[in-house]
Amino acid sequence: MGVLMSFIIVTVVVRFLEGMFAVGVIGSCVVLVLSGIEDLKTLFGREDENHS
Amino acid sequence: MSSFQTPSPANRVRIVIATSVMLTFISYWRAAAIVLNDLASSAFYACGIAEQAVGKSAPWFIVGVMLFSFAVRAVYVESCSMFVRGGVYKVVKEALGGTLAKLSVSALMFDYILTGPISGVSAGQYIVGLINETFVTADVHGWIPRAVHSLFNGTPHFNVNLTSVVFALAVTIYYWWENTKGIHESSEKALRVMQITTVMVVILLGWSALTLYKSGYNPVPLPTPDNLHFSKESLGFLRYGFSDQSLTKLFGLFGILIAFGHSVLAMSGEESLAQVNRELAHPKLKNLKKAAIVIAIYSFVFTGLSALLSVMLIPDAVRVPVYKDNLISGLAMYMWGPLILRIVFRAFVVVVGFLILSGAVNTAIIGSNGVLNRVSEDGVLADWFRFPHRKYGTTYRIINLVVILQIVTILVSHGDVYVLGEAYAFGVIWSFTFNSLSMLVLRFKYKGVRGWKVPPNVTIAGMEVPIGLLSVFFVLLATALVNLATKSVATVAGVSFSVVFFVIFTVSEHANRKKYALSKQQMKDHFQLLQSETVEREPLGIRPGNVLVPVRDYNTLNHLRWVLEHTDTREQDVVVMTARVSQYGTAAYGLSAEQMFDDYEQTLFTRAVSVAESVGKKVSLLVVPARDAWSAIAQTAHSLESSTVAAGLSGKMTTAEQAFALGTAWESIPEPKEQFVLQIIRPEGIVDTFRIGPHTPTMKNEDVVLLHRLWLNVTREPGLGNIHHHDILTEALTRFARDYGARDRQDIVKELQRLGVPAGSGPLPVRRIADQIPTVQPEPGKSGQDDGQHNP
Repeated sequence: MGVLMSFIIVTVVVRFLEGMFAVGVIGSCVVLVLSGIEDLKTLFGREDENHS
Repeated sequence: MSSFQTPSPANRVRIVIATSVMLTFISYWRAAAIVLNDLASSAFYACGIAEQAVGKSAPWFIVGVMLFSFAVRAVYVESCSMFVRGGVYKVVKEALGGTLAKLSVSALMFDYILTGPISGVSAGQYIVGLINETFVTADVHGWIPRAVHSLFNGTPHFNVNLTSVVFALAVTIYYWWENTKGIHESSEKALRVMQITTVMVVILLGWSALTLYKSGYNPVPLPTPDNLHFSKESLGFLRYGFSDQSLTKLFGLFGILIAFGHSVLAMSGEESLAQVNRELAHPKLKNLKKAAIVIAIYSFVFTGLSALLSVMLIPDAVRVPVYKDNLISGLAMYMWGPLILRIVFRAFVVVVGFLILSGAVNTAIIGSNGVLNRVSEDGVLADWFRFPHRKYGTTYRIINLVVILQIVTILVSHGDVYVLGEAYAFGVIWSFTFNSLSMLVLRFKYKGVRGWKVPPNVTIAGMEVPIGLLSVFFVLLATALVNLATKSVATVAGVSFSVVFFVIFTVSEHANRKKYALSKQQMKDHFQLLQSETVEREPLGIRPGNVLVPVRDYNTLNHLRWVLEHTDTREQDVVVMTARVSQYGTAAYGLSAEQMFDDYEQTLFTRAVSVAESVGKKVSLLVVPARDAWSAIAQTAHSLESSTVAAGLSGKMTTAEQAFALGTAWESIPEPKEQFVLQIIRPEGIVDTFRIGPHTPTMKNEDVVLLHRLWLNVTREPGLGNIHHHDILTEALTRFARDYGARDRQDIVKELQRLGVPAGSGPLPVRRIADQIPTVQPEPGKSGQDDGQHNP
């Protein structure tokens, strides 16, 4: 019972971390794309003055 | 403080505290170079460590980490846009309070303490690797003498780890001494190192492309769970419950998360971005973003692509067994082309590696010193640590503490880069995590306008949800938590270190609280602190043409006494200033007026006031924060319209060197600016005087004689009877400028270099040139205004 409980807890924790990581990676990709576009504008001097 | 009686509040000594650091602003290119000196150094060891931990697909994880570093960079840009004097401590303290700030600084200290040893040992691995390979090549060609052969029982060979430890110790001790003396860190040096590194990167990528075309490549396994091969060490505490295969089968994505965690040290150094932010020139935010882009692209290209290429080009049989700790050297050796060229390029790689990695050792000491100085100023570390070196004025006790910890780390690691790298990742990931969590909290805590925000942000029911920031935080937190389980060495070492530092900080803070309350009261009794954003004459109530007296060590105020004894303060004001110098590490953090003027400054100004009282004259007191003492003095003299700067003799520079340093700082002040006189008062009362800025030079007698003889000759020419001495000088200087700007430049430089050697050993001294000009007596009756030898 103890081993099973431990396994369940480990599984829940691992799934939680996996979920957090997956969501974070997807969101970070969006950050990468959006800030990348802004970076290009900054580099080529067409930066919008009104930041978010 | 005990030297004078408590005055009434009205009689308190006024001290103006300037809050703007006197910085020499730098371009975004230089800022990027400073950060890359730290960030790009990880390219030399990150992939080797990651491959040992997760297997052959490690380069994809390094590439992934480098792409993710674009997002982490965005978080730092936002934090820097909120806090010009950003950095983890400041941001976490604002968002989460003092306790978590102390904890985050403990993690950051662990990062800094580990940066030195891993960089030093890694540089040693590259150097020893090259030496051993050179021995092997020489032995193949029979170039090793028999005696040497028999001495080593075969091909000469150094123990790589042991020699790397010796090298790392040597570099650390070298920089310990340099920092104790107080080296002047220049962005110029960082820029040069990055220029050389860029040459290496361009050759590396270009030659690798040619090699891929000519020789083909080994495919890099995709980063899928099936391709992950964890070593026992890389599973950390999990190895007791799971084998690597069962783990990846049970939790596919979890394996990728573990691998990502083992590669995260590739982006170590982002924190430096917050530290250089303050020095960025206007427009600050735009330049910060540009610097951040340059940093991210450069580190992605260098660290990411070199990791991929190392697996594509270096055969499996030797990559980990031989080149795991000097992977870029291995890459150089497996390029397409003649062996000699490859060895030469490998030597170049080693030189670049030495420059950038040993620079990172220095950065680690400077960074640690800066952070501990900062927390000490905040009262969470005993003032004892900040006591300045008697001769050099540096916080040598903090430097000693940091270097002792680094030396212990180097010795304990036995030169094992893998162990150091695993431990290093702890500090890196947790300082990033604390920073991103704080920025997240600040989004809800401070809803004011920001310079920039990490995108995207969506508004739901009137509440802005920072999706981008939240995403970055999720990745960092998940990675940090998984690393706790999979990096057993890092967890034990990092947690122990952080807890010990946290306890020290907490106990020190508690002990200091009482002491600070007393000293604060004393300060209120004697001094009235007036805060001023910039250094100006009005708050000090002084007139133009004043005398500026820089002071630092309260034991050497003889020059102040001399100035007061020789100045009529009714006619000329005397301003006593001290520069609160901070390096890259500390420049990141803002100080309140009370922090700027703590125990040490109190003692210093109390002694200065005592000197003034003993002479019976009035002085004005000023504290300025600065990155560089000479820039601070030059800029203060400029702002206060001082006619004279009266300094004491430096413990480590000659008077001429002091004058040169101040002159150089003066040159960097934008026009319009006024010249002033520098007086350096030696302890025995002898004064050396220099003019700072353009001025009439002091002419030697022989120069005057030469000028006069030329004038006599020229005035004999028809139609030149009215020529003056200064006309001769004008013509001579015009010709000199023309020749210097054209074909004779090198000859002139050589001639001046020869004239610069000590008298007697140089070529034709001026006196001898003068002797070659025939003496012509002036004609009778020709006695205009320029008829005698005089200084024009």
